[in-house]
Amino acid sequence: MSMLQDPDMEEIIVDFCKESAAIYADLEEMLEDYEDSKDSKKLEEFGQVIDRIMGAAKSIDATQTGMYCELGKTISYKASQSMDQALLDIVTAVLFDTVEILQIMNKTIETDKVEKVSGINLETFGTRLRWLADKLKNINRSSVAIDVNENKLDGQKSIDDLLADLGL
Amino acid sequence: MAFNPKQKILVVDDMSTMRKIIKNMLSKMGCKDLHEADDGAPAWKMIQEAHEAGIPYEFIVSDWNMPQLTGLDLLKNIRSDERFKTLPFLMVTAEAEQANVVIAVKAGVSNFIVKPFSIVTMKEKIDKIFP
Repeated sequence: MSMLQDPDMEEIIVDFCKESAAIYADLEEMLEDYEDSKDSKKLEEFGQVIDRIMGAAKSIDATQTGMYCELGKTISYKASQSMDQALLDIVTAVLFDTVEILQIMNKTIETDKVEKVSGINLETFGTRLRWLADKLKNINRSSVAIDVNENKLDGQKSIDDLLADLGL
Repeated sequence: MAFNPKQKILVVDDMSTMRKIIKNMLSKMGCKDLHEADDGAPAWKMIQEAHEAGIPYEFIVSDWNMPQLTGLDLLKNIRSDERFKTLPFLMVTAEAEQANVVIAVKAGVSNFIVKPFSIVTMKEKIDKIFP
């Protein structure tokens, strides 16, 4: 049984949905600010904020939400380093769509205990996000706190191996 | 020093859902003296105040990515203070970069855990920190 359907997790799931709804509203505002100002720091901030939902979503088995947040983070961080305005306009539009889909899924998590969006193939949209993330991956980052996709360790086992090498 | 569920534990994360998930796991492991902070900055204040009040925290579980004071900066603050040189510190991350792990180990992290994680992984980490 998924944690989303686990009665013992219900209170945590409801809190997650409420907390996430407020964060999604902030994310939309950041994208609107970016559209008005074209200040790349807004995209960087978007990446930092969507990261907050990512870890919690994965922890409650909201895997689609976690994946979308992870890709949204990667895309926004990378895009914040790009000077290609045409590409950035596409990125902004895709991030608006991403947030909209996340908001719909957030509601279905709260009401139906599943992640679903009527009329949209989530896998296909995910593929589109991965394609965009891939397009942006060669942009070198210089200012954000966490580099994405560079020497990324693949899960707990890789970290444990590295920690063992480092003497922990 | 073996892990004692009676230890005073501080859970630091800017997402309240994560704080609840971690506290829920620790509760299932028998821990009762659980406290929380929503960023590294208030956590650092709480750690100092608790020590000064004579009821210090004995274990910190902290997220890495937080807006005011990151988990790494909280760790650096802790290790730069003689009173907290050996305070066990478990870092929680959503994504782990090799370079960041090395930086945190150099800063004195006790261990790392990657989201999402199970209570089994959490217990394994605690057992490593408190052999």
